[in-house]
Amino acid sequence: MNQTVYIRLRNRVQVRENAAVFLKDIALINAPGEMLDSLDNLVVHQVTKEDRNIVIIDGFKVIKMIRAKTGVDDIQLIGPEETIVEVVMKKKKMSVPVFLIVWLLLFTGSAISIMNFHEDVSMQKVHEKLFFLMTGIKDPKPLLIQIPYSIGIGLGMILFFNHLFKKRINEEPSPLEVEMFNYQQSIDQYLIFNEKKENMKRIDE
Amino acid sequence: MGFKILLIIFTGFACGFAVGAGFVAFITVLGVIPRLMQLTKTMKMVVHYEWAVTLGAVAGGLFGLQNFQLSVHSFTAIIAGLLHGVFVGMLAAALYEALNVLPILFKRMNLDDRLIYLLMAIVLGKMCGSLFHWLYFPDFSTGS
Repeated sequence: MNQTVYIRLRNRVQVRENAAVFLKDIALINAPGEMLDSLDNLVVHQVTKEDRNIVIIDGFKVIKMIRAKTGVDDIQLIGPEETIVEVVMKKKKMSVPVFLIVWLLLFTGSAISIMNFHEDVSMQKVHEKLFFLMTGIKDPKPLLIQIPYSIGIGLGMILFFNHLFKKRINEEPSPLEVEMFNYQQSIDQYLIFNEKKENMKRIDE
Repeated sequence: MGFKILLIIFTGFACGFAVGAGFVAFITVLGVIPRLMQLTKTMKMVVHYEWAVTLGAVAGGLFGLQNFQLSVHSFTAIIAGLLHGVFVGMLAAALYEALNVLPILFKRMNLDDRLIYLLMAIVLGKMCGSLFHWLYFPDFSTGS
């Protein structure tokens, strides 16, 4: 009998506390019809208190379980080699005060840091000189340069981050979004390496 | 005498060389030009952008150190100021990105979904801080 089971693990899934993790939750399955049902409901992991909030399910173990359950020899694992299961304790709710504090922190911090920057590079003198160079008028407050300059700072930052408030300028992700994605990837990599005991073999046991 | 002059010319040239190289390195590391090309889809014009930056730096050096004077209408200052501001804004945003503080901060606080509002906090903060600095700060800092 020539039967093949194809399994494609998902990168990251979320489950509830004390839930049983079924194969269909963590993977896309392609198998002969009569087998599909039992594979779908194969429990690959039971979440317990000791798991805390991250469990790594190894593709290798999944293959073993499928073999034990169905007796199929040919099991193909396509894609990621392990799934990160995140145990969601309670629905994480964003707290408004925290948001407001962070907002104010960023607002005040960036306002003062731009002032520090201006003092640091003597922007006032540069603007005075620039204004004099261009127009021949000596003005200790060349606001004709400075107000457009201030608005320009905002425009430049929006341009860089690719956001016009809620609207995007084009479909590309902003550098910050890419950065956050990279950060998440690094964390996942770290978790896969460190949470999976199979990845490490120590002498001291 | 001639030797002295040569030495001075050499020193000046060396200073300029170092500063110019540093300036290009700074611009390159922050990635402002690639970002602009990506937004405007003008990757082919990269050579011209390089020249724009180089010529701009040279012109800035000449204008800043000599006492040239143009007598253009003072409204051209608005354009110069706006362009200057956009450039500084992009530099500031690039610096934020290079420092990698924000992704970690947002994640720790569970605020990933409010990214835009937090970005706006930074942007508005920069604008307000800058305006405050120009409008009110000189009156306090000069003292007399």
